[in-house]
Amino acid sequence: MLVNSVIIILREVLEAALLVSVLLVLSQKLQLSKKWLIYALLFGLLGATFYALNIQSVSLAFEGVGQEVVNASIHIILWLTIALFIISIRNREHSKVIYSTMISCVALAITREGSEIIIYIQGIITIPELTMPVIAGSIIGSGIGISVGVFFYYFIDALSFQNSIRTGLFIIVLIAGGMVMQITQLLIQADIITSQQAIWDTTLLLNERSLVGQLLYAVIGYEATPTPIQLYAYIITLIIMLSLTIRTLRCFTIREQV
Amino acid sequence: MNNLRQYLFFGFMFVISMPIIAAPVVELEIRDHLFYPAELVIPVDTKVKLVIINHDATAEEFESYELNREKVIPGLSKGIIFIGPLPAGEYPFFGEFFPNTAQGKVIVK
Repeated sequence: MLVNSVIIILREVLEAALLVSVLLVLSQKLQLSKKWLIYALLFGLLGATFYALNIQSVSLAFEGVGQEVVNASIHIILWLTIALFIISIRNREHSKVIYSTMISCVALAITREGSEIIIYIQGIITIPELTMPVIAGSIIGSGIGISVGVFFYYFIDALSFQNSIRTGLFIIVLIAGGMVMQITQLLIQADIITSQQAIWDTTLLLNERSLVGQLLYAVIGYEATPTPIQLYAYIITLIIMLSLTIRTLRCFTIREQV
Repeated sequence: MNNLRQYLFFGFMFVISMPIIAAPVVELEIRDHLFYPAELVIPVDTKVKLVIINHDATAEEFESYELNREKVIPGLSKGIIFIGPLPAGEYPFFGEFFPNTAQGKVIVK
């Protein structure tokens, strides 16, 4: 049970931790205030608690696929705010937009992942013999997740200005790709998008059950058996996000030359 | 204008015909962190609506790598997952929150 809860919590914490660390280090490099994080954490915790408290009614909504609809909507808004963030940092005068996108990204990620953690712990804590291992597992899991975030923060922070922006945005683009994988997956599960046969199976190469597979799934949306729709959606999102990123990077290069 | 009317007509027909081609329903229950039935048999190449009813007070997460499905089923509640159309075979699933006991498989034939 201990190992199981470590993995469950780590998987949920990792994506938000990475997002926070990259946005924080970009704030640092762009000489923006980091106060936004307080608001993001606050809204995120409120959102996660609200979602967890209402999980029963959400589950029953939309003829039993309410969770898929709500989660997919959260991911879609998150994806859009990521795109807006990449565009808005081209001009530091748009600092209000930059701050709002960062707050909304992190708050939405915490709402989505945090609610699952609350639901998991809330249920399991009612079983006395599991309380200790699950609390210990949760502390270890979130500890590892936050450590990975801290590691990425200092790793990117140590790079030159240009390289730090490049690396940070690249990680964000990968996270956005993972988001799209989850959106399509949820819509297929809810029968809003028609299900299809998988185009390939890379289970032998990297099993989704393995620790690495699970972590890659959580962060970049690794899928051993993607369907054609998922693959197309992934390619399209990469093209959109990468072209936005390249234009943003060009703005920074021009500014540095001036 | 005529075209628009045609589209609307077909759209309407599509919407009202949807319940007719609705997927067959299969029920799966969770009790004391176990799945009942532990083996679900569903027809090959058919989309199935899986209704998961959780009788426990604790939440469970239905998860299957083979089916590519993952969903939290709150305590004393239920949720729906669509699976298939699938080729014949066995597709294991488990309850992520209680993986030691909550295990089962979907048998497609």
